[in-house]
Amino acid sequence: MGDDPASRASEGPPGPSSGGLHEPGRPPGERLAQLISPARRVALVGLAKNTGKTETLAAILAAHARAGLTVGVTSIGRDGEERDVIDPRIAKPRVRLQPGSLVASTGALLRASGVKHERLAKTAVRTPLGEVVIARLEQEGAVEVAGPSAAADVRAVSEAMAGLGARQVLIDGAIDRRAASAPGVAEGLVMATGAVLGEQLAAVVAATAEAVDLVRLPLFADGGEAPVPVPRSVALGAAAQEIAELLRAHRGAQAFALEGALSERFLEGVLEARRERAGRELALVAQDPTKVFLTRRGPRWYERQGLSLRVREPIELRAITVNPVAPQSHSFDSVRLRAEISAAVGDVPVVDVREA
Amino acid sequence: MPDAAQSTPRADLTRVKPYADQLGDGIMQLSFTLPVPYGIAGRRAAQELARKMGLQNPEVVHYHALTEGYTYFMMFGECTHSVDYTSLSDEGFDVEYMTEEEIESFASEHIGRPVVVVGASTGTDTHSVGIDAMLNLKGFHGHHGLEGYRAFKTYNLGSQVPNSVLVAKSIELGADAILVSQTVTQQNLHIANLTEMVEMVEAEGRRKRLILACGGARVSNELAKELGYDAGFSKGTYPNHVASFIVRELAARMTASRDGAATAA
Repeated sequence: MGDDPASRASEGPPGPSSGGLHEPGRPPGERLAQLISPARRVALVGLAKNTGKTETLAAILAAHARAGLTVGVTSIGRDGEERDVIDPRIAKPRVRLQPGSLVASTGALLRASGVKHERLAKTAVRTPLGEVVIARLEQEGAVEVAGPSAAADVRAVSEAMAGLGARQVLIDGAIDRRAASAPGVAEGLVMATGAVLGEQLAAVVAATAEAVDLVRLPLFADGGEAPVPVPRSVALGAAAQEIAELLRAHRGAQAFALEGALSERFLEGVLEARRERAGRELALVAQDPTKVFLTRRGPRWYERQGLSLRVREPIELRAITVNPVAPQSHSFDSVRLRAEISAAVGDVPVVDVREA
Repeated sequence: MPDAAQSTPRADLTRVKPYADQLGDGIMQLSFTLPVPYGIAGRRAAQELARKMGLQNPEVVHYHALTEGYTYFMMFGECTHSVDYTSLSDEGFDVEYMTEEEIESFASEHIGRPVVVVGASTGTDTHSVGIDAMLNLKGFHGHHGLEGYRAFKTYNLGSQVPNSVLVAKSIELGADAILVSQTVTQQNLHIANLTEMVEMVEAEGRRKRLILACGGARVSNELAKELGYDAGFSKGTYPNHVASFIVRELAARMTASRDGAATAA
């Protein structure tokens, strides 16, 4: 973290330590399982649909199955469905679970799976697909997983599964929803990226690096003067005049803190209002990276404008998985894609779960 | 039909199949066009196709030439498959829709205060017909929108509303529910915009207190679940469908939080 990517050439293979690309003889699933092993709750988030998040989950599950580890699985969205909900031409991998695995899903989906299971608890969490129940599988099989969506419910259901014997709970994210990876919910994150992010390899690398920058925003160094709290209405409403007034009222302040969402509109508003006092560094402090919403520009761009984004709680990014194939479209060489992502993001292991 | 109730045998809802003359006969009618000339061979092709579709005793009851090289067929056949209706109906897939009067009395009995609903078409979406149809007094197809209900206090913020503004306004107005209308395309743009709203509500720590519903031509319950919404409404939705969902969900949450407060560990 902190290194300028421009100073690091992307030519030439990085050494094994900078991404561990070559570890012969070890299935990628086992390596992933080891990378996430200390965390009791691990979130899997895909940077887009079809980045291979469910394949990543399947690889981890297979490794845990070989190790005889009891897992719990829940999904913020849906997982293991047969067809993509937006593009029905895309067949999705199923989620295969071992007997004894715990799963949070709706009663109807569990029954529809045809896999024998015992219902252990109702959760009173209602989703558009029905109420979420916790079940223990009595045989091996493929199950469609649809657990709670709200972060607080995800945490509660994960803890319930841990209480029922799951040594590790895997929380599958959905599309680009990051709330599941909040430090209050998960203890570790695996991020899935892939060719679907861009038709040029460089674009995929850049988009991935930006997403990594966002989840690994630096911690705010406490100790100096306390950051000035930004009222919610100013942070969300992002009215130019209100932002200007806030900055004027705290001319000497070096940091502002946001309790909730830090939106792109607010950042743009701050930049606009700050023109008159350009040159001064300003830190904006959010609770954790899931509360920072950037779509047009990444954290480094704001850093260059003199706005540093900081958080109070970090997210532990344990690994990045890549899917070098974009369904119905193009694909890249996996080794090269991994090497370039490794070079751009630094010390996070990059894994292709399909690598032979 | 005075005696229908007593003479109609009950269907086995765990093994539902089409019915024509008697329950369980599986008979269905289908029609399609094949790019073949009108004639016996074409007729046999249609029967063969129906058989491949799993229909027993397929029968062509009518066929005629459409234009040169094309023939239209109407067929009957016996469907050999069945589905378990109970597995789809008893777990909350279905919201029982209420009429406007039923919604009003349900709300006054179970909620007892106006339900605040804030709606918008968000991001770059300029289409406001969907949200207008649900919220505005005028409604559509003779079903007036939530604005016309005593049970609701509605705010329609219009189209192209940034998520942060919608969330800020909802918090400021003490909203119970947010309705988002979005034209979902295969491009990720609108999807990303829909999820960002959910994530912002999470970031504000309001997810458990706000009912989030999205609507649009291609929004299904499955998509709504993936996006993190509590419900998704698609084509054919009337304001009373949305209203039924909101009052039931709010009442359920109020009950749950009362029970939760009583039994909290």
